[in-house]
Formats: sequence, C-alpha cells, structure tokens
Amino acid sequence: MSSHAASAPAALPAESTAAAGATKALVIGLAGIAVTAVGLFVSPAANVALSWLVGITYWTAIAIGMLMMILIHHIFDASWSVVIRRQWEHGLSAFKWLAVLFLPLLITAWTNPGLVWPWMDLTREMHGGHTVGHDVLYIKKSGFLNLQMFTFMTAAFFGIWMFLSWRLRKASFTQDVDGDVKWTLKSRVTAAMGLPLGAITLTLAAIYWVKSLEYHWFSTMYGVWFFANCARGALCMGVVIMVWLLNRGDYKGVLNTNHFHSIGQLMLAFTVFWAYVTFSQYFLIWNANVPEETFWYNLRELNHDGSTNQWWYVGLVILFGHFVLPFVLLLSYRYKVTPHIIRRIAFWVLTIILVDITYNILPVLKDHHGDAAPFFSLNLLWVLSSVVGIGGVCVWSYLRSFPTTKLIPIRDPRIGESPDPS
Amino acid sequence: MAAQPYGLIATFETAADVYHAAEQVRDAGYKNWDVIAPCPIHGMDKAMGLKRSIVPRISLAGGITGFITGMTLIWYTNGFDYQLIVGGKPLFSPMFAFPVSYELTILFTAFATIIGMFVLNGLPMHYHPVLKYDKIGRGLDDRFFIVIESRDPRFNDANTKALLEKAGGKEITTLEA
Repeated sequence: MSSHAASAPAALPAESTAAAGATKALVIGLAGIAVTAVGLFVSPAANVALSWLVGITYWTAIAIGMLMMILIHHIFDASWSVVIRRQWEHGLSAFKWLAVLFLPLLITAWTNPGLVWPWMDLTREMHGGHTVGHDVLYIKKSGFLNLQMFTFMTAAFFGIWMFLSWRLRKASFTQDVDGDVKWTLKSRVTAAMGLPLGAITLTLAAIYWVKSLEYHWFSTMYGVWFFANCARGALCMGVVIMVWLLNRGDYKGVLNTNHFHSIGQLMLAFTVFWAYVTFSQYFLIWNANVPEETFWYNLRELNHDGSTNQWWYVGLVILFGHFVLPFVLLLSYRYKVTPHIIRRIAFWVLTIILVDITYNILPVLKDHHGDAAPFFSLNLLWVLSSVVGIGGVCVWSYLRSFPTTKLIPIRDPRIGESPDPS
Repeated sequence: MAAQPYGLIATFETAADVYHAAEQVRDAGYKNWDVIAPCPIHGMDKAMGLKRSIVPRISLAGGITGFITGMTLIWYTNGFDYQLIVGGKPLFSPMFAFPVSYELTILFTAFATIIGMFVLNGLPMHYHPVLKYDKIGRGLDDRFFIVIESRDPRFNDANTKALLEKAGGKEITTLEA
C-alpha cells in the first residue's frame, strides 16, 4: 500500500508550480503590508496598529491550531490523518515569519506605550480622573501586565512554538529519508510535552495580546475560546489545502471520502466546542450581571445613549454564522464528503473567525463618549490589508516549504492505514 | 402459503467471491436479500446497493424535538403558566432556557438514535429462518453466504437458483420458513 501511495505524487512536477505560487503569494503579501503602511498616513496610528494585531492574531491562531492538530495526531497515534499531517507541518514554517511580523507591535509598545495596549501607559488618564498607574485593578495585575513581562512572554510564545515546530518538522522530514521509527517515538515525546506547553502559551497569548486590551475585564473562558478558533482555523485550512491538492492531482489516489468525513467531523465537533465555550462566557456574564464584566459586552452592543451600535449586529452574525450555519451544514454526511462543498464551508468559517477576532479587538477604539468605533469604517480596510499582508507571507512560507519534502510522510509506520487504495 | 420456502441460500469460499456475487444479485434487481459473512467486508454496502441509513434523519428529528421541548417547557412554566421573577431576569429569555434546551437536544437525539436503530434493524431477533440451515455455523468462521428471500417480487425458484449458480454460489439450498 505504501508503494501505491508513494508512486502517485512522485510523478508530478510539484516544485516549479509551488515556487511560482510562492513568489506570487509573497508579492501579494508585501502589497498588503504596503497598503497597511500607507494606512498610517491616513488613519490614526492606533487604528492601524490594532488592525495589524487582528491580522497577526488571526494567522498565528491558524498556525497554533496546526501545531495543536499535529500534537494531537501524535499523542493519539492516529492513522487516518497521516497523509494530511504533512501539510500542517509545512504550515508550521510560518511561525518565524509571524514572529518577525509581530515585531512592529513590540517596537510600538516600547516607543509609544499605551497606543495599542492601554495599560502600558501608566500616565493615561482614566474615566474617574486618576491614572492607570493608580488604578487598583492595574496594580493588582501589574506583576503580569508590564512591558518587560509582555516582551519576554511574547518572545517565549514564539520561541516555544518554533521549538515544537522544529522538532516535529525535523522528525517527520528525516523519517522520509531514513525510515527510522525512532522519529515517530520522538514526535510522541514532543506531543506529550508540547500539548500542555501549547495550551499554556496559547492561553497566555490570547490574554496578553487580545484580552489585556480591556485589562479591567476577566473571563476564564478566554483561552479556551481562542483555542476553539485556532483548532477550527487549522481544520478549515487543512480542508482548503486538501481540496487544492486533490484538484491539482497530487492527492489523487491518496485521499478518499473517509479523510473528508473525518476532518469534517472534527470541524463539526469544534463548531459545537466553540459555541459551548463562547455561550458559556456570555451566559455567565449575562446571568451574574455585574458591571465589572458586563461592560465588555455592553461596549459591543450599545452606545452611551442606549442605542444599539454596529457591533450588536456583528455579534448576531457571529452567533448565526460562526455556530448555527456551519453546525447545520456540517451535520450532513454528503456535505462533509463532497470536496467542493466542504471547501466552501471551510472558506466561510475562515472568514467568520476573522470577524470573531475583529469583534474581540477593534471595539477597543472608542470615541470621547466611550462608544466603540463602528465596524464599518476605514479600519476594516486596514484589517483586510493586514490579513492579506500577513497571510501572503504565511502562504509564501508554506509554499516554500512544500517542495522540500515528499507530499506525504511515505515512511511513517502508519502510512499504510491512511491512504485507502479502494 | 405454508409450503412457501423462506428463500435460497448459497455458499461462497472467499470474501471476493461473495462481493462480486453480491454485485450480480444487486444488478439483477433483487431487494429482499442479504449477505452473511464472518467479518466486515469493505465496500459491501456498495456491492449490495444499500443506501445510507435513515437513522441520522431520525436523530435530527429527535434533536429538534428536544430543543423545542426545552424552550417551550421553560417558556410555559416560567413565562406563561406561573410567572415568576427570578434574580431580576426577564420572565422568559432564550439565554437561560438554552442550557436546558441543549441538554434535552442531546437526550432526545440519543433516544431517537437508539430507538430508531433498533426499530430499523429489527433487533433483538430471537429467531431467523437461516438458523435452520445446518451449515450456517460456518458463517461465523470461514464461509460466506447469500440469502435471497422468496418474498422478493423477482424471486423465482429456477431463475434465482440459476443466478446464484452463475454468480459462483455453491450448495444452493432451499430454506424452510
């Protein structure tokens, strides 16, 4: 069976097309970054910086999801996902570029503290007249929320993700050459230590990068919410890559309906998981109804005069678009196993994840009344240019890694159980 | 009617034999027939021309029923029949009705799935005519069988026997009802 799997992709001239695609992706990415840079001369710097934060959070979430999927694959010694795993491994190559692209935000934090994360500016005046530095809620959290910790933690997150990615990629790619089973066992060790490390780092990253934008607020669900988006993003990106490689011919004779059914089932499961977590966060805050927590949702529903703002409708779009629609569609067996339909669902979920992250970040921009800046504004353009810019670099990184190895890990001990010859 | 036999049973040596024989029986248009094998055979559902089970649809109906039951239960008891303000909350809100509706969705889906499966597959079944066939025990070990029931509209003793023979069936035997 392994000879069958290995013969199909070897015949294709994958290298040249991938290289051409990589250059195209890089050009698009640099164009997106350039447009975002132009935004600095059009919009206030904070708006552009927060849009950039949306973009970097979005793509990092997908990369973290891919990392977690591979770790989960190894910890369960899974067989069905062996032929898909390799594409996620290529995706992990983006971490170093994401770290580089995070640098502008880090430099801004040092040169202009408080521009993006309000708590970094201790002299910033607050609603009651006192400053952040005198705010008891800040003082209690200042052991975590200070510039040195933020910098160290961000460096540590990327360091840990890159270290785990390096171990997984090295083990998998080397096994292609020597076929030694020890690489599989090494990856299992990576998975055992990487899963708790990944869970802690992604939770802290969500807290530092996104949640601390409103440092008064607290929610124990936040890291889980972020993980749910990471997992869904990685699964959907996996489907997009699978269908792309299937249509191109690479995956012909490798993928069958079982692969699409399995990954579709995981998409459904994480849809419910996301809904469970997101609803729990909302429901507990709604039920307790204490101002220390409700202000976060009030900002995303009402203006100071009590009228509903645009984010209220964005919230409804997220409720129905991020949960109800994908849930109902993914219940269907036929939709899950029909490549062009599951791909459409994946594209939709990838879009709505971006809306979800935007919903969590952009309302931090407030006018003098304390009302959230509207969803439909020039900021949306900078969000899109950031997502295209950072995404272009990530796709370029993936496509650059793609031709360096075999399409599938041909000497993985479980490869025979994954592609079905029927 | 009492003399009417249950059907015909044919024996096959290998999974591949019975697989291809099943394709021929399917193509001949039979509906009331079955394959007996000691192990699962990949692709047999296709070879037999079986459609996907309707159990998922029954599950879905159960789930929708459960969700509506949860919502209406809470609305009826607290928002309509005996209005009571609890914790300063509205008399009815889908927000606090949701956990209950969600649990009932799962419960009713599980009931519908289990009951739907048992209704459709006819289990538990204490007696089946093939049990009278003295060599049926081999079907738990190393033999494969195709049984075509006489109630099938296309069933005709001679023609069906010829079909099974052509498909490679051995020891074609009539089963008592």
